Amino acid sequence: MKKKNPPGDRRNRFVRRPWAALLAVAVLLVTAVPPAAAGGAEAFIRDTAARVFTSYAGEATDEQRAKAFREILTATFELKTIARFTLGRYWRVASSDQRKEYRRLFEDFLVLAYANRFRDLGGVKLNVVSVRAVNKRDRLVQSEVDPGGGRPPIRIGWRVRETGRGHRIVDVIVDGISMSVTQRDQFAAAIRSAGGKIDGLLAMLRDKTGPRR
Amino acid sequence: MRLTRRPDLRGGPARVLIALLCLGGLGPLGCATPPPPDDPEALESFRQTNDPLEPLNRVVFAVNIEADRYILKPVAYVYKEAVPEPVQDGIGNFLQNLGSPAVFLNAVLQGDVDHAGATLLRFVINSTVGLAGTADVAGEMGFVRRDEDFGQTLGVWGADEGPYIMLPFLGPSNARDALGLAVDYFADPWIYLRYEKFNYSRFGAEVVDARARNYELLNDLEKTSVDYYAAVRSLYRQDRRDAVRNGAEAALPPLPDIPADEDDLEDEEKEPARRPAQ
Repeated sequence: MKKKNPPGDRRNRFVRRPWAALLAVAVLLVTAVPPAAAGGAEAFIRDTAARVFTSYAGEATDEQRAKAFREILTATFELKTIARFTLGRYWRVASSDQRKEYRRLFEDFLVLAYANRFRDLGGVKLNVVSVRAVNKRDRLVQSEVDPGGGRPPIRIGWRVRETGRGHRIVDVIVDGISMSVTQRDQFAAAIRSAGGKIDGLLAMLRDKTGPRR
Repeated sequence: MRLTRRPDLRGGPARVLIALLCLGGLGPLGCATPPPPDDPEALESFRQTNDPLEPLNRVVFAVNIEADRYILKPVAYVYKEAVPEPVQDGIGNFLQNLGSPAVFLNAVLQGDVDHAGATLLRFVINSTVGLAGTADVAGEMGFVRRDEDFGQTLGVWGADEGPYIMLPFLGPSNARDALGLAVDYFADPWIYLRYEKFNYSRFGAEVVDARARNYELLNDLEKTSVDYYAAVRSLYRQDRRDAVRNGAEAALPPLPDIPADEDDLEDEEKEPARRPAQ
């Protein structure tokens, strides 16, 4: 941070009253921390978006796209957290084997569901609009993407969590629609229609995602 | 702007309607059985899903899908593939411009002076300079399009969504928005011109235009959902809430907090390091 030389009288005042200087430093520290962290989240989203959009522009077949998408997904998303959220109240009653399989199938399912969803966005530019703290660990990075053709911009909110391994995405909210909430809602309905059995959902996911690559 | 008395559609006419539907011979086909009262979590989830007519709604949805598959979808496909894109854009703009008076009215009712003004200007500019509405000149000038309907107006006034309803042929809705649809029909000035052919063609064009616009999205969604009905329901409700808020940020759901160094498959289970290296 660049700073002009403070006027002489002000410097004198700080010297005379050291507590004022201390207070100033403390205020600076406290107010400087959130923007710094937010900046990290913003840079992380810029990088990730660039990776997603360029990898789409470059990849030719669906299979290659899926592979590229899975790499980005596992490297930038906190899948454990998202998987647990999307299973909702059934996570607690799931056995450890069910959890394990669900988590694996969930990743495959996300690749299936979203690898091709953004194919039209190859090469577009992402504008970060704002960044705010959701809670102690989460930041919401609001961004816009111009889909071209005079259509209104697509609003994409990225919920980014500070984890031990760096920033990880925990939810993506496109035009007000949360990916995690959508998946949680339809999984809950699937389990209910299977008579409340988690195995019912697992079978459907297995069916959808096909053989494990 | 808020009404002093909150119209509560859940408790009012909608409940009567549901009761009638449930009693009217539809019985188990019409109404979802609420979970047993000794399961508060299931009850809460039933309440949040807000779809007491689910069995009936699913039947209507299945019929809608068949009608779509054999009639609307092929028409939308031909339109999307055969008509040049600039022409499609022109048609879309033209239809949207026709809807502007109703959008204006709803913006006024919502007390949104800015958007009412912008919509009025859009209509004037696009109807003239924009060649009868086929070019969105006003949009390029910064008067951004944003649709408002009476369902949203009721939402802004504080009305509850009411139960989810799958309308025959018209698709997903809820008590509030279905009522809004009816009001919007009469709020639209063009229907009073009594030029039937124009009104029917306009309605037909609107349906095809909307279907073609969402062609890929619906295809993807159907292919990649484990419960298409529930996925549509979730998307519809989130989308309408976003529309009522005019895109302002929603409350975010609480996400579980899992410490990075901990695996939570099971407390009693010793986890072998089986996560692939990153």
